[in-house]
Amino acid sequence: MGQFIARSLEAATIFTFAGLGELINQRSGILNVGIEGIMLFGATLGFIVTKTTESYLLGFLAALVVGALLGLLHGFFSITLGVDQVVSGMGVWILGFGLTTYIGSPYTGPLGLERIDTIFGVSPFFYMAVILVLLTWFVLFKTNVGLKVRSVGENPSVAEVSGIRVTRIRYACTTIGGMLAGFAGAVYALFYNPVWNYNFLMGWGFIALALVFFSMWNPLLLSGGALLFGLLWQLSLNPELFLPGIFSRYIWRMVPFAITIVVLVLISTKWFRLRWGAAKPEALGQPYYKD
Amino acid sequence: MTVAGYEMKLERRVTLAGWQAALIALLAIGVALAAFSVLFILAGASPLTAYREIFRYAFFNRYGSLLTLNRFIFLALATFAFVIPFRAGLWNIGMTGQMYVGALAAFGVLYAFGGKQPGSANLNPYVVIPLMVIAAAVGGAITGAVAGFLKGKWDVNEIVVTMMLNFMAFWLVSHMIKEGGPFMNPGGRGESFEVPPSVRGPLIGNVPFTIVFALGLALLLEWLFAKTKLGYQIRAYGHSPKAARYAGIVPERISILVFVVGGAIAGLAGYHYFAAVPGVYKISRDYAYFGDLAFYGIICGLIARGNAIAALPVALLFGGLSIGGRFVQGKLGLGFGIDYALLGVLMITLVAFQFFYRYRFAWNRSE
Repeated sequence: MGQFIARSLEAATIFTFAGLGELINQRSGILNVGIEGIMLFGATLGFIVTKTTESYLLGFLAALVVGALLGLLHGFFSITLGVDQVVSGMGVWILGFGLTTYIGSPYTGPLGLERIDTIFGVSPFFYMAVILVLLTWFVLFKTNVGLKVRSVGENPSVAEVSGIRVTRIRYACTTIGGMLAGFAGAVYALFYNPVWNYNFLMGWGFIALALVFFSMWNPLLLSGGALLFGLLWQLSLNPELFLPGIFSRYIWRMVPFAITIVVLVLISTKWFRLRWGAAKPEALGQPYYKD
Repeated sequence: MTVAGYEMKLERRVTLAGWQAALIALLAIGVALAAFSVLFILAGASPLTAYREIFRYAFFNRYGSLLTLNRFIFLALATFAFVIPFRAGLWNIGMTGQMYVGALAAFGVLYAFGGKQPGSANLNPYVVIPLMVIAAAVGGAITGAVAGFLKGKWDVNEIVVTMMLNFMAFWLVSHMIKEGGPFMNPGGRGESFEVPPSVRGPLIGNVPFTIVFALGLALLLEWLFAKTKLGYQIRAYGHSPKAARYAGIVPERISILVFVVGGAIAGLAGYHYFAAVPGVYKISRDYAYFGDLAFYGIICGLIARGNAIAALPVALLFGGLSIGGRFVQGKLGLGFGIDYALLGVLMITLVAFQFFYRYRFAWNRSE
């Protein structure tokens, strides 16, 4: 049972990192539907680097770098080239999915290193996630920088007129978002489940994306959602702990995805929209051209 | 920038003719294949040899070209499933799940007729095959309808919903064909029972009859979007949902309709690969591979700019590339997943080239 809760917290940690990255992206008005691809890249390169150098640190660094580069790429497409953000995000996802399958396949199998030490039963990443959630919340809502980010996401033209560098802020946010997604992938592949297999994430990135819609773009609510889904995910892997003998283990794997859909429907209802509509970054997904 | 007395400037495009779009698409594919050469070089293979082998096997080898045609049919159907919602401004990336459910529904018909029993050789093909095809379309349509309904009714993000349905369908297939699932092969090999010979999809020449769906639907969709009121409504909705509402178009109806039709076509793709392609005739253990292939539909649809006829040559090319890619992978001793890598490189190049749909380089003699 203690093991189960610890594993749930680890899963929640991964959702939190990826979700926070996406949240920062979206607060600046850039939608990135490709975080699953960035996570796959971070996970795969992190795994390869750690496996060849036997250094966790280098692996995580590699994941951060590749995540930042992919975030930058998405920024370049959607900010500078003005490509439809959904098209660009799809591109990043399919690039990650396709290329990591090829790059990683020679490394298929377990990492074969000693696990990273835990602190009071959970990984250091959990504590990092807690701090990062609080920090993001503080920066977004209590500092000047956060105000700038939010105003860029709400109305870039007005922000520009009031002297904020829209392009620069958006690039910064997509890059940070990419780094966090890459890091989340590395936590998965280097700690949570250190075995490489092609396309092993199976939806973590897309659930993180849904969590951001669900969070009303608030880091604190996001972490709550991440906890819930971490628990759910773990439950779907070990149904016998609570409800032995009902359904096959495959049916249980469907549950988190079904609940994601249900939650998305709930937050799309009118009651929720009245609150949600106000929180949504007004310029989300719209390209901005400085004329 | 000035080159040899000419000044080069970026200009916003006002219009984009069909031939211009085709040129950009060709250029994008060319650049992607050139970029992809790097992977061949890194793997120690000559890109020229690799591409020559790919094209020779995929389009000129007797065996390979049949595989290419099978894959072409699949990709074309997956592309149509993507394109129809795309014309309405909606993203169907759930072809994978719709195709899985379609395949399960088709096998459900077989199961109901006792097709799982080894001695069931004498099923009536005139009854069972049409029922399997219909079931596949209905299964896909229902899966698609979920996303379309939620999008139309509550504006639930269709990208996330279709993706969630993909994963759900993936595990549902596992449930049905593995570990004692109802469709499990009696041999217990983690794959479904085989389609009895009498009700396998008939062949035209050596090609599955489903090629009729691929070619026929291309014509039908072109006609739908070019000539009919419904096609006009879908396009109008795609341009501006708000304006469409003023024109008397019911958004909910459009959203459900495009996803139902798209899903049905994806369901046919599932029928095609698992019940009509020679050498398969079962939901194989590596069914996820076919699910992944369905994502080529996104790329074909984007390159063809939502035009079903234009999607056909693209689907044929990509079908050939993925078949040929697998072939050289074995022949030149490359790592697994060349066809996946190609998918990724094509996609990202295409995204970069989206830029040229809106801008063009203009050359003016500098003063």
